[in-house]
Amino acid sequence: MAPDPNASSSGTVPSKDPKKKKDEKKEEDLSDEDLALKQQLELYVERVQDPDPGLQKVALESMRQEIRTSTSSMTSVPKPLKFLRPHYGTLKAYYETMQDSDLKKYLADILSVLALTMSAEGERESLKYRLLGSEGDIGSWGHEYVRNLAGEIAQEYAKRQSEEAPIDDLMELVQQIVAFHMKHNAEPEAVDLLMEVEDLDLLIEHVDSTNFKRTCLYLTSSARYLPGPDDMLVLDIAYMIYLKFEEYPNALQIALFLDNMQYVKQVFTSCDDLLRKKQFCYILARHGITFELDDEMAADDDDREALQEIINNSRLSEGYLTLARDIEVMEPKSPEDIYKAHLLDGRASAGASVDSARQNLAATFVNAFVNAGFGQDKLMTVPSDNTSGGSSSNWLFKNKEHGKTSAAASLSMILLWDVDAGLAQIDKYFHLSDSHIIAGALLGVGIVNCGIKNDCDPALALLGDYVDKDDSSIRIGAIMGLGISYAGSQNEQIRSKLAPILNEAKAPLDVIAFTAISLGLVYVGSCNEEVAQAIIFALMDRSESELGEPLTRLLPLGLGLLYLGKQESVEATAEVSKTFNEKIRKYCDMTLLSCAYAGTGNVLKVQNLLGHCSQHLDKGETHQGPAVLGIAMVAMAEELGLEMAIRSLEHLLQYGEQNIRQAVPLALALLCISNPKVNVMDTLSRLSHDTDSEVAMAAVISLGLIGAGTNNARIAGMLRNLSSYYYKDASLLFCVRIAQGLVHLGKGLLTLNPYHSERFLLSPTALAGLVTMLHACLDMKAIILGKYHYILYFLVLAMQPRMLLTVDENLKPLSVPVRVGQAVDVVGQAGRPKTITGFQTHSTPVLLAAGDRAELATEKYIPLSPILEGFVILKENPEYREEH
Amino acid sequence: MITVSVKWQKEMFKDVEIDTSQPPYVFKCQLYDLTGVPPERQKIMVKGGLLKDDADWSTLGVKEGQKLMMMGTADEIIKAPEKGPVFMEDLPEEEQVVALGHSAGLFNLGNTCYMNSTLQCLHSVPELKSALIKYSHSGKSNDVDQSSHMLAIATRDLFNELDKSVKPVAPMQFWMLLRKKYPQFGQLHNGVFMQQDAEECWTQLLYTLSQSLKTTGSSENPDTVKALFGIELVSRVHCQESGEESSEAESVYSLKCHISQEVNHLHEGLKHGLKSELEKASPSLGRSAIYLKESRIDGLPRYLTIQFVRFFWKRESNQKAKILRKVDYPLELDVYDLCSDDLRGKLEAPRQRLRDEEGKKLGLKASKDGSSSKDNDVKMSNAEGSSNGSGEPSMATSQEDSETQMTGIYDLVAVLTHKGRSADSGHYVGWVKQESGKWIEYDDDSPIAQREEDITKLSGGGDWHMAYICMYKARTIPM
Repeated sequence: MAPDPNASSSGTVPSKDPKKKKDEKKEEDLSDEDLALKQQLELYVERVQDPDPGLQKVALESMRQEIRTSTSSMTSVPKPLKFLRPHYGTLKAYYETMQDSDLKKYLADILSVLALTMSAEGERESLKYRLLGSEGDIGSWGHEYVRNLAGEIAQEYAKRQSEEAPIDDLMELVQQIVAFHMKHNAEPEAVDLLMEVEDLDLLIEHVDSTNFKRTCLYLTSSARYLPGPDDMLVLDIAYMIYLKFEEYPNALQIALFLDNMQYVKQVFTSCDDLLRKKQFCYILARHGITFELDDEMAADDDDREALQEIINNSRLSEGYLTLARDIEVMEPKSPEDIYKAHLLDGRASAGASVDSARQNLAATFVNAFVNAGFGQDKLMTVPSDNTSGGSSSNWLFKNKEHGKTSAAASLSMILLWDVDAGLAQIDKYFHLSDSHIIAGALLGVGIVNCGIKNDCDPALALLGDYVDKDDSSIRIGAIMGLGISYAGSQNEQIRSKLAPILNEAKAPLDVIAFTAISLGLVYVGSCNEEVAQAIIFALMDRSESELGEPLTRLLPLGLGLLYLGKQESVEATAEVSKTFNEKIRKYCDMTLLSCAYAGTGNVLKVQNLLGHCSQHLDKGETHQGPAVLGIAMVAMAEELGLEMAIRSLEHLLQYGEQNIRQAVPLALALLCISNPKVNVMDTLSRLSHDTDSEVAMAAVISLGLIGAGTNNARIAGMLRNLSSYYYKDASLLFCVRIAQGLVHLGKGLLTLNPYHSERFLLSPTALAGLVTMLHACLDMKAIILGKYHYILYFLVLAMQPRMLLTVDENLKPLSVPVRVGQAVDVVGQAGRPKTITGFQTHSTPVLLAAGDRAELATEKYIPLSPILEGFVILKENPEYREEH
Repeated sequence: MITVSVKWQKEMFKDVEIDTSQPPYVFKCQLYDLTGVPPERQKIMVKGGLLKDDADWSTLGVKEGQKLMMMGTADEIIKAPEKGPVFMEDLPEEEQVVALGHSAGLFNLGNTCYMNSTLQCLHSVPELKSALIKYSHSGKSNDVDQSSHMLAIATRDLFNELDKSVKPVAPMQFWMLLRKKYPQFGQLHNGVFMQQDAEECWTQLLYTLSQSLKTTGSSENPDTVKALFGIELVSRVHCQESGEESSEAESVYSLKCHISQEVNHLHEGLKHGLKSELEKASPSLGRSAIYLKESRIDGLPRYLTIQFVRFFWKRESNQKAKILRKVDYPLELDVYDLCSDDLRGKLEAPRQRLRDEEGKKLGLKASKDGSSSKDNDVKMSNAEGSSNGSGEPSMATSQEDSETQMTGIYDLVAVLTHKGRSADSGHYVGWVKQESGKWIEYDDDSPIAQREEDITKLSGGGDWHMAYICMYKARTIPM
């Protein structure tokens, strides 16, 4: 059928043509109204060039009037501007010929506005004429104009900076623009401009009670993407603004982020409400730093004691048990409840009649992790009254040699944070003669005191004497115990006890390695010179063969922990490390770099580390492991960088050598700790069947870490299947068991995430504990599967209840309804947007999953902290009235 | 005098007075009265240090109203048990095997999976093992050739090694001798040893063992292998044309399960296999005629071996091709209707007793809530295993003959499977039921635990492993 295609083609072509024509016509055929406007404007342009100043003035006024009244929208150019477009050149030319006068300024104003649409890119004519103009109210020309101007100022500023030209006139304009933006809900624009012109201090003058929250939110979240030291500056400003508006909890958080104790102190001294101070103490306690209050911060002795008690975390156990009782998970669980072997058919290991030491050890750990902090379990705390029953009644003796160390220490894990009950129960182990058990008891004293401070310093009192014993397992127990209980305290006494060990000529390598780690933990992020020196000398004293030992890796790590998150401060030490023996030099370099930039999100450092991973080594160097971990440590700071790091790690998996592939699962674990992202879960699940057993083991452990404390059913199922898949491989099965224990950490009430307070703050001790454990996992076979499995207990540093517990003014638990939902990013949004989505209403105490945020669902109370996490004090709302 | 408060466990003792003129031991005795913790067990923490018995109060700087912390156990102190538990890791290897629940795997020495799987299946026959243990160098008689003798010795040693090792065993010696005795297994193809037919290996090995073991034993037990595996058949040979009829008796080591279009189940295949047509010279007709041979079982072995005739010679491709047809086989096989009338009569009484007993068991079971049939099976085979094990192993066969009776019911104990399209290629695997009732798949060097229901899924009909040889163990009943 010939006509059809013709018809269709002829049908389409004309349909296009008329449109085009219409457009053209539009250009020409203006409506009467527009035509009139056009002619009017043309007339004004002519008049402006009239020699008569009076006429000129009228023309300019009218033109200005036309421009201002026209509705400006972003999508189309306002009509007056459009019609004036052809005359821009003429007006410009005329302007040059004019005498200096008010009228000339007037014209400059108009030219400045016209330049908004007509000036060529990069000419910055709008700004030029603005500066020449009458400097009238900037906002009267509309938002778009101000915005454009701000952009040009930024460019001009950069140019003038490079020419070292004066900027006073610009700054004046900036003042005006900032004031305008702040008044018109455009805080991000104001902040951006001020950041461009490097004068954020201006902001403080312009914030008021209506916009400071949004301003600060924008400041704090943009700080993550700024290069140092700008980010510190930005946070400083935010801190100042919060302080100005008496938003002390927020100010405190920024102070903690900056790790600036002076600021923390200032927060305490500026606030005089005891209840609010108590809330500050809860925030400090969650962050896990050691902080001593003085008279200035709390004048009254009793008050100070009460506050210090909160910082010392002495109530943590109580709060955690309140949560557990509320959720009804007090019933102790046995390892078998976790393994759920009945769900596996056939493949489950044959009901072995003989105990396997490896499996019993795994059960010990599982039991410790699962019942952590509950004070009761089915293996360690069962009353051993039927002593006639002999070995069967006491689980401790079902472990072999060094296994008993972990078993004894597991008791304190169950009694975690409950110092009184814990010490009382551990005491019995001190009376046994087995050195492994005593080592475990010593370690246990450290664990039970983890994060808790006490005036009597029980850990130091009990452990101090054992540090210098002859038996190296006892020494390690005491040293590790001190490191765990005094992590972050920078306690001088500990240093004087531990530092000499590093110089001991006869001390075995393992004692030295654990000493270095403990010192690193105690002085985490302190940049302490003396400790650094001690560890450096210890490293230099190692013989060539000792440097090849797996445990040696803890020495550089101990050194690195001293500089955790301290960025440039590490440089001097990094220089020194270049003089180390070749065997450890690079390893040390990587460890220091990754620790120093941990939690900063510094993209350059990530690239640097990736660069190290891209090399193919053939000399059996080991530094790529810490480099891979380092990528995760640096990139874990914020969500975007984290996603990118996950992708980069996938590439490393594909192209990397074996030593890199082993470290990748661990890095993924750190990135998603206690936050089981599905894509990472899938990757790890795939790797858990890797032909390389080291990779598989790391992946299995990592599965446990990403699911730590979540009770995630999918991971639990994967691990169960892995337990039947690897039922013959004792090493892998051990890893699977550990991972199962981790997934059910604290029966799902705990988290290992070092980030808290809506992912804003990074607890240094928690990160240090995690990193230590992960570094140990780089050589799984020699350390975790060898006789140093108790290194797993370093995880206790990162263990925190993932709860929201509201308390009343007397700090007694108070149940109120709260909405818990996925947190929404509201940075830079106008108005009061919803901060959570897909929420459910619960009554406190509640569990918070990764990425969850809570808000009060009642007006009856006012929370004293804007971030509802951990302990939050509620104050009755005086304005609240029951609705009836 | 200073008053302090002392915290012990969860208790707080307020206003404890310290007499600073007395040594701290006195203070500890005070606390003993309060808490019942003996002074030597008390650990009192004062500002980061422990209170020593002979310390000087003035140097300690204890202040009025200070809180002290005490640690100590008032009760009996736990003692380490005198005898620690024994751990699997500490056990010698052979005991670890027991704990493991199954014996070791065999390394593949280059296409020797046919041999490994055969050995694993035969290894599961305890009676054969004990007979081999009895076999010694000296027992060699003259009518057995040297290579057969050596092979029997090698088999014995290998079985021993399998029982004692946790790690996979390399059957080097055995393989060398097997090739020596049967050079066809040493065929090379492109420089590597060829894959062989497992059935051939099975038959040859059993033949050799029967030859070697025949001559050794005591007079009452002339042929152990025959007693264990031999099946007595009586056949009626009948010629339709001439109406001639004769009967013959023979002894075979395995029943053949023929696979044809109609065969869906092992039982049908066996029936099929017991009927055959043969052409032979008919004396009455004076020419060769078609004779119909119908065989029946006249004597049951302790271990019934069934071969699925899955391979046939395919002329066009010049190889042993495989029939993939699915033929189901049961975990419990009843051969009653394959038996001769004589034998049926003998079986009647024991079968009745077995039924009664099982009925009793089931009756009991039914009163509890219905546990799975798998449990039943396991229990029964356990009971049986123990009854077998309790008997003197060397005399096992002879004694049990007198003590127990055949019932014609058999339980599956081993399956040899083949995966692939022809007998000389693909992969052979042995699936063996352990004494514990668990099934283990012996895929060369790696033993893998399997579920019982998966064993029946090896019946073919796809490209998965399919049963080639099944070994059933007789269910007996004591007299």
